[in-house]
Amino acid sequence: MLDDLPQRPLRVLLAKLGMDTHTVGVTIIAHALREAGMEVIFTGLKQTPEMVCAAAIQEDVDVVGISTLSAGHTRHLPKLARLLREAGAEDKLLLAGGVIPQEDQPMLLEAGVGKIFTMGADTRDIVTYLKAWWAERQAAEVP
Amino acid sequence: MNEHIRGLVSANDNIAAETSRWEAETRAPFVAANPERRDTFTTQALKWPIKALYTPADLDAVGFDYAADLGFPGEYPYTRSTRPNGHRSQYWTMTQVTGFGKGEAWAKRARYMLDQGLSGLILEYDLATTNGYDSDDPIVEGEVGRAGMALDSLEDLENAFDLPFDKLQYLMSVCNAPQPVNLAMIIAALEKKGVDPSEFVLHIVNGILIEYTCVGRYIYPPEHGLRIATDAIEYIIRNHPNWAPLSIISAQLQPAKANPVQEIAFSLAICCAYIDATLERGFDIDTIAPYLNHFVVNVDMDFFEGICKLRAFRKCWARLMKERYGASRPEALKIRMMTSPTTIALTLQQPLNNIARLGIMATACALGGAGENMTTPLHDEAHSLPAEEAIRVGAAIQHLVAHETGVAETIDPLAGSYYVETLTKQMEDAAFAEMDKIFAMGGATKAIESGYFQRALGREQYERNKDIEEGRRKWVGVNHLVLPEEKREIEIFRLDDSMEEEQIAKLRDLRARRDQGAVDAALEKVRAAARGDDNLVAVCLEAVKVYATHGEICNAMRDVFGVHAPDSQLAGV
Repeated sequence: MLDDLPQRPLRVLLAKLGMDTHTVGVTIIAHALREAGMEVIFTGLKQTPEMVCAAAIQEDVDVVGISTLSAGHTRHLPKLARLLREAGAEDKLLLAGGVIPQEDQPMLLEAGVGKIFTMGADTRDIVTYLKAWWAERQAAEVP
Repeated sequence: MNEHIRGLVSANDNIAAETSRWEAETRAPFVAANPERRDTFTTQALKWPIKALYTPADLDAVGFDYAADLGFPGEYPYTRSTRPNGHRSQYWTMTQVTGFGKGEAWAKRARYMLDQGLSGLILEYDLATTNGYDSDDPIVEGEVGRAGMALDSLEDLENAFDLPFDKLQYLMSVCNAPQPVNLAMIIAALEKKGVDPSEFVLHIVNGILIEYTCVGRYIYPPEHGLRIATDAIEYIIRNHPNWAPLSIISAQLQPAKANPVQEIAFSLAICCAYIDATLERGFDIDTIAPYLNHFVVNVDMDFFEGICKLRAFRKCWARLMKERYGASRPEALKIRMMTSPTTIALTLQQPLNNIARLGIMATACALGGAGENMTTPLHDEAHSLPAEEAIRVGAAIQHLVAHETGVAETIDPLAGSYYVETLTKQMEDAAFAEMDKIFAMGGATKAIESGYFQRALGREQYERNKDIEEGRRKWVGVNHLVLPEEKREIEIFRLDDSMEEEQIAKLRDLRARRDQGAVDAALEKVRAAARGDDNLVAVCLEAVKVYATHGEICNAMRDVFGVHAPDSQLAGV
């Protein structure tokens, strides 16, 4: 059942923050999510948390995915989570992926990151996770 | 057709017939009883089918002709080598990448590397520098000194150049988007150190078009990026004729998953964009081609794809210069290459395995002709910044390939291999077909502006990742011979924040004590040059000498050029 996407496709914003310009990971994820039927928007490089928060609201996405490979995660992700909360957009799933050491993860989850996938994660697991999250979300919204 | 040639042709016809017989009588029954390991055998990146056996009949099938396709070393089309004597007179120059932290720390590491027998160094800068910001710009917080040296002002380079310039023959500087600023700083720093610029080779990468294609460290829109790169090229050709003003780092396309044909075609088409822009400055092709013929090429673990790519690269360059531009000087027809094992073959898992991978790939580089330089990444690079032991092993790998394997004792030892010649020829043909397509769309700058390169690479990235996830490509430690309990986490190199604070303090101290009036005037001249046609390197040189900072000069050009911000479609994501 979970393999069937609910009627509206999941909308995902993918973003890169700061000077981190490694795009192979985010490109692979974008292709995999599109192939799984999701709508994917990429912000481009060198974004600030403020820019990503504004884009997430403007594009009315369900998920905000941040790809991080150059150690900026401990600064950028908590800030983005806070901005989304302040904008009343805490219902969006904040997803983080890339090089995120185990020891940093509890702090990020505490700060409002919904789920973390580290480098080498199988794209099929990410798709499965998002489909399940979306199915649950849609089920919860049914009155 | 003379008798001798006729004899060869009929011999090959005979071989084709004999091969069919062998297939039917000997191989097919064996395979029926012993099924093959996999359904299809293909090369790793191109996914071209690999036959069980190659014979002279395959050479006929691709139209192989010794004289036209190979010729002799040091002669057109240079397939066998650009050097008349291969590596029998001199080995390639053995080089290694370095650069982190502050200038002084880099100088210490660089001296260590020179002591290990290396004679060339590559200087890499942090992401603040390569993206055109000063260390105290809020947008680069946390990046200062992380991926390379922090470079804010001429003072930082004066500290970094505390080096034995008698041992150092070659320095490559990798700072693409802000190229005129970086070049000006190096010229000014060498001047301050009293180094004779004719005594060694400064090589700037100047590779902004590849930044737009896949690396992402761009600042200005592509047309302006190409203009400032061309300013640097022109300045070097006119003022430092023994230096190198451009490198086409095909080795950045490769980790972005360009296959060998895309690597050759995209990087040669990109080079043509620089050549065309430089020709417009009033030079002729035979003068400029020897300045614009430096390529850095990676070799991956598919041994024959790597070797054949290096051979095809030499020939494609020669043909392109001759056929497209009418070049005639040998120096213009010869490509210069730095080769390197690729970092993307290395694994985080079981890192000692990477030493074996590096040895194999370095051997492939040497068998493919090595080029003028070879550089080796380090086996623990995926984990953290290089440790001294890894640097020593990395240097040793090149020495043992050179001294212990015998692969450099004869020129192009794999020439004549039915498989190698077939694959080399197929790559050349496919690369020219792809280049024709790019030229038809208006050349590399247009291919960047339309997102063609970026989307092509994005598709390769996705497909090749799927090959690994779905097990079509076995990768030891990743999806084969996995150690389940192994911790497979990258250790992030956490520079302590005090380094960033120190660098910012130094920068602010400099701003307080320099002549601000002179700086403002120099920056205004940079803006004026950017608006007009004056060469930007000359005005940047004036600016860095009065200690205008890197970020300030880049901002002056931002004021005029604007910034590049591609959308999803153009980014290929």
